[in-house]
Amino acid sequence: MIIQVPNPILEVHDLTVAYHRKPVLWGVDLTLPAGSLTGIIGPNGAGKSTLIKAIMGLIPLSSGFVKLFGKDLDEVRQKVSYVPQRESVDWDFPASALDVVLMGRYSQIGLFKRPRKADKEVAVECLRKVGLQNFANRQISQLSGGQQQRVFLARALAQDADIYFMDEPFAGVDAATEAAIIEILRNMTTSGKTVVVVHHDLQSAVTYFNWVLLLNMRLVASGPTEKVFTQDLLQETYGGKLTVLAKVGDLLEKQQFPSREDKA
Amino acid sequence: MKFFEFFSFTDPNIRYVVVGSILMTVCSAVVGCFTFLRKRALIGDAVAHSVLPGVCLSFLLTGEKNPFILLIGAFITGGLSIFLVEYITTKTKLKEDSAIGIVLSVFFGIGILLLTAIQHGGNANQSGLDSFLFGKAASILPEDLYSFGLVGIILLIGVFFFFKEFTLISFDRNFAEAIGLPVKILEFMLTSITVLAVVTGIQAVGVVLMAAMLITPAAAARYWTHNLTIMMLVAAMMGAVSGIFGAYISYLAPSMPTGPWIVMVISMIAIVSFAFAPVKGVFARLRKQIKNQKQITDENILKLFFQLGEKDQDFFTARSITSLLERRSMRKDLLKNGLARLTDQGFLSKTKDHWKFTEAGKVKGQRVARLHRLWELYLTQYLQLAPDHVHDDAETIEHIITPELEAKILEQLKYPEVDPHDTKIPYKDF
Repeated sequence: MIIQVPNPILEVHDLTVAYHRKPVLWGVDLTLPAGSLTGIIGPNGAGKSTLIKAIMGLIPLSSGFVKLFGKDLDEVRQKVSYVPQRESVDWDFPASALDVVLMGRYSQIGLFKRPRKADKEVAVECLRKVGLQNFANRQISQLSGGQQQRVFLARALAQDADIYFMDEPFAGVDAATEAAIIEILRNMTTSGKTVVVVHHDLQSAVTYFNWVLLLNMRLVASGPTEKVFTQDLLQETYGGKLTVLAKVGDLLEKQQFPSREDKA
Repeated sequence: MKFFEFFSFTDPNIRYVVVGSILMTVCSAVVGCFTFLRKRALIGDAVAHSVLPGVCLSFLLTGEKNPFILLIGAFITGGLSIFLVEYITTKTKLKEDSAIGIVLSVFFGIGILLLTAIQHGGNANQSGLDSFLFGKAASILPEDLYSFGLVGIILLIGVFFFFKEFTLISFDRNFAEAIGLPVKILEFMLTSITVLAVVTGIQAVGVVLMAAMLITPAAAARYWTHNLTIMMLVAAMMGAVSGIFGAYISYLAPSMPTGPWIVMVISMIAIVSFAFAPVKGVFARLRKQIKNQKQITDENILKLFFQLGEKDQDFFTARSITSLLERRSMRKDLLKNGLARLTDQGFLSKTKDHWKFTEAGKVKGQRVARLHRLWELYLTQYLQLAPDHVHDDAETIEHIITPELEAKILEQLKYPEVDPHDTKIPYKDF
């Protein structure tokens, strides 16, 4: 059950993504309404992170296209924010929490220039929003996992975008931090922002999100949470792996076959 | 005195050599910070070795040692080596370390081959070319300084202007790409800058040891600071010191290669950093461990006084070392030291080989006993551990629970009366 919306803020059309020729996402078609708090749900290896990386143009597409605000990503980058997985960076990097949040301002600051006072004030304010105002000058390796996650969130807030893609923002954070983060995400959507979150806990997904994508190498469902969270669809997402699909993927990898003929 | 002759810098030749050496080592130290943070130390080594065939080829083609031409040749083969490493890593099943090993040895082998051919070729100009192997600061001539100096200054300016972008791609490449930075171009620039830094450095340090000048200053500087700008300045300073020293050695013993000396100096600086840096250094960590050990001993002694006080129903009896050891076995020397420390600190008072609690000592001893019993109770209740399994754990945990954590445990356990062994949990009387 894939519900399409009129005037979508995000449109993904026939998106196929392959790593080393092995397709990990097959023909995804979806649209998202503006102002939604969307969860991308699915088992391990379902391609959840891959989907948002593909949307952000971080990995090459085998086929299909992505439109944000009806345009190509390059035309609207200022309005799009991306929060990578916490483990994707080395937190022993010599930088303070404030330094990292300031990175969210880099596209506004532009090349060659140093952050201005205004940028610093925005960054401090964003740290305050995530409850880390007292940690601005703390070296990032001395922060707890939950605090590091909040630094990433603050960096995204500093971008002042309209749509946010977040890769596992709840991974490795304690319950209190998780509650704080979801509160911030809710406030963002009530003020008109769209937030898309990769998440893997089914239980909390029901209460957190008002729109859900069920993913398992292909899009199983997309729609309002209450319509998508049905026994059948969850069964289809988590139950039996699509063995034929996985085997064909393995074969493409082994035989060095292109997944689309014109992209050899 | 050679020393004063050198450090008065009156001889213009000495000035050239010193300025040249400093510029070269500073450049590689600054650029090396990014190499270090991007964890590309081995690539740096591959590049350094791979510039040798470029230098030799330039000489073979032109027949002269024009520094600019040598530089171009070095840049081409150095860059080619990086490209090859990346190509092999992405297009074959070989991992990066193997690719680096292959490229480094092949390029260096060709370089040595060409160098030997040149040396036997009878071109009178060739003398001094072999100093590129291990470096010879004393052979820096004014025209070298102008060409290499120019490149060095361009490098530093490049790092200055793209500092923000280079930092971001080093820390979080995906994010940099997501906000639309031209990551590929920036990476190419950073790589080119690294190659140029290597190329400029080879005259002072030589290709064989150049990677050390790229990585060691950064690694040493990282121990002293958490701030990237400061880290670069510290690395640059360390590089400069080793550069001056290298020039000095070269002046004292003109036949001596300078590279090994420069690397020795920077390595000494690094070793000192690893050992003595605050917080991260070996000694700082050792000091911390000793401090922890003392704290554990002291708190155990106070707890012991408290437990004996509970038994005798008198907390202020004076006790001898023997009576303390009857209740709990401890190393006698540790106990003696601990008693002396606690007396100094005012938690115990001493009269003739007997010690007894002061009021403050009793409060502290009581707290340790309380934390021990609270933790035992917490483990039995929340982790469902058997009461006979919890003592050893509580022995360590009692020393690290903060007052805030204590309040939280008390709240969760609802201010319990007794621990799992039915011993009373002692609270402060108000």
